Parts: sequence; structure tokens; C-alpha cells
Amino acid sequence: MNKEIVIEKAKKVKFVILDIHGVLTDSVLYYLDNGKKSECFSLHDRLGCMALMEGGINVSFLTSKITRTDEQVAKVYNVPLDRLWGTSAKMGKLDEFEKESGLKDEDICYAGDEMIDLGIMKRVGFSVAPSDASIEAKEVAHYVTKAGGGKGVVREIAELILRAQGKWETVIDTLMRKGL
Amino acid sequence: MAFEKNLEKAKEKAKNVKLFAHDVHGVLTPNTFLCDIEGRRKYTFWHIDGFGDLSLTANGIQIAFLDTTSIDEEGLFRARELKLDKFYYKIKDKVAKIEELKKELGISDENVGYIGCEVTDIGVMKRAGFSVATADAIDEVKEIADYITTAPGGRGPIREVCEFILRAMGKWEEWVEKVTKMGYK
Repeated sequence: MNKEIVIEKAKKVKFVILDIHGVLTDSVLYYLDNGKKSECFSLHDRLGCMALMEGGINVSFLTSKITRTDEQVAKVYNVPLDRLWGTSAKMGKLDEFEKESGLKDEDICYAGDEMIDLGIMKRVGFSVAPSDASIEAKEVAHYVTKAGGGKGVVREIAELILRAQGKWETVIDTLMRKGL
Repeated sequence: MAFEKNLEKAKEKAKNVKLFAHDVHGVLTPNTFLCDIEGRRKYTFWHIDGFGDLSLTANGIQIAFLDTTSIDEEGLFRARELKLDKFYYKIKDKVAKIEELKKELGISDENVGYIGCEVTDIGVMKRAGFSVATADAIDEVKEIADYITTAPGGRGPIREVCEFILRAMGKWEEWVEKVTKMGYK
């Protein structure tokens, strides 16, 4: 990882797409005795998502299937529900989104951890893998976070992007004034 | 990044603590939450951290929980369980809250101890007489802290600081003896 190249790539980011399992979560599924499933998310990432959006960079979740848990977490992170994309055809979704939004590959940051993410990670301007992602994902990624999945990956990306764009301090001040 | 801290200096500072305040998320919890399909959220705390807080109150040090995150009240439940009355929730300005508490208790900055982990804690930590960062706090917080715990958030940092403070005050041995004979709560 060349730090200067990473910063150059981060400067161009206008939109962040996040895989859920293994990136927003630690991949662990908790089954309770009532048959209900829970997953573990990070409040650091809540700050990360809110900071990106405050800095004018929108965030979406992209996973093979959006569950009700994902919707509930999106509410906690203040991510609008229409930016929860559920499809395993991740590349197809990216094509569709770029056509709709006018954004290009180099404007997009994608964070993923598995085989299904590799195609999109090779295409976008800035690709990120958590420290505990698959070897393949880490090989393809422009940046590997210090944090593991579910332990603040988004906060780390947000700080990196917003610092590269010179917005971090102002965004944090604004968020703290508004209340988190 | 490794941060070198002067332990002797930290001990001197810890001796003056009369109010020990802490953040909730990332200190009492690992800053994570479990979420189920109905949006019910669960938080994990560390059993022996409760003993840490109780040890300090038993030795005349006030505890305050200062929570910025405005989604759930789990910190409040934990505070109630520990019979701690100073719980403050949805705090936008922690510095102002500490100022209020200082007035109420008639103490000054050097009597304030604080443990934090995030950007929201930096303001308070710069003023506090004794500031502590968790092992997994962000670098900016670790940099300004007088002491860094070996435990990460939600895995016993309060227990660790409590021992550090009471040892600095020379009260630890006596307290442990008392607890093991008489129990606490």
C-alpha cells in the first residue's frame, strides 16, 4: 500500500458502497433461543456513515439480500432505506447506479471482503478490504483497514477520505454540535 | 502506534481524583451492538467493570456516565444496576456537563478523572486532571491521555483504572481486604 496513492484515490471519492457481512459486521450470526437472529455492528461505523454523509459523500449498503436487521441498522446509521441494495449481481447494480447517477468508477469507493466483491473492487476508483477479509480481497484492495469487519472499518475509511479531502475537522465539529 | 506514558506522573495525577467520569460506548462497551430483525439492540458490558465503579464510590470518589450517542439507554440501565445516580444521556457538550458537575461537587479540574475513546472525548480529556484512554481508543485520544489501559473498551478498562487510582491513593490493599472480609454493595 502506497500511502500517497491511497490519498490520491481517496480525494476523488464521491460515493461509498459498503458490503454488509464481514464489513459492517464481524460475520458472526447470533441465534437466540427464540429463533431470532442478531448480528453485531459497530457504533464507530455509525460515526463513519454520519461523517461521510455530513461531508457530502453518500453511503449505500450492497449485499445479496437486504434483511430487516439491515434496515434497522440503516436507521441507526441514518442511511436512507432506498440506499439499501439487495442483489448478488453486484456488478450489474453498479452499472445501473452509475447510469442513474452519472458517477463514474473512479468516483466510487467500495468496501468488501469476499469473492463476490472482487469484480466490483477491481473496477472502482478506491477499493477497501477489512484486515480480516479473504486473502483475495486484500490482494485486490487499494487499502486494507486496521480494523476488522464490524469493528470500525467505515469509520476508518470515512476519516481517510474526509482527511484527504480536507473536510474531517469541520465535519466532526458540525456533528458534535448537532449531537450524535 | 505506541505511546509512551510516564506512570509516575500518572500516579501523581490519579491521587487527586474526586470525580471519575466515563464515556459509555467504547469504554463500558466495545462500541458494538447486536441488532435483530425487529431492531431490538443489545449491548455488552464487562462484569468486573461494575466492581471497578463500585470500588471507587465506596472510597469516596464520585462516578458519572456521560453518553453522547442518542439511540438507546442501556448505559442508564447499567448505571441503575450499579446504583449510580450520575448518568447523563445524549450529551452534546461533555465539557459543559463536567463544568456543571465540578460546581455541584465544589471541585476543580485537577480532581476530575476521565476515560474515553473517541473524538467526542478529547475536549474533556484535555481539561481533566487525570485522563485515560482505552487500549483501542483512537490515536488522538491515546496521545493526550495520561494513562492507557491494557484492556480495550468493554473488556475491563474500568476495573483496571480503578485499581490504578486506588493504588496511587494507597487505598487498594485495605479496600481489597475489606471487600474480601465484608463483601460490597
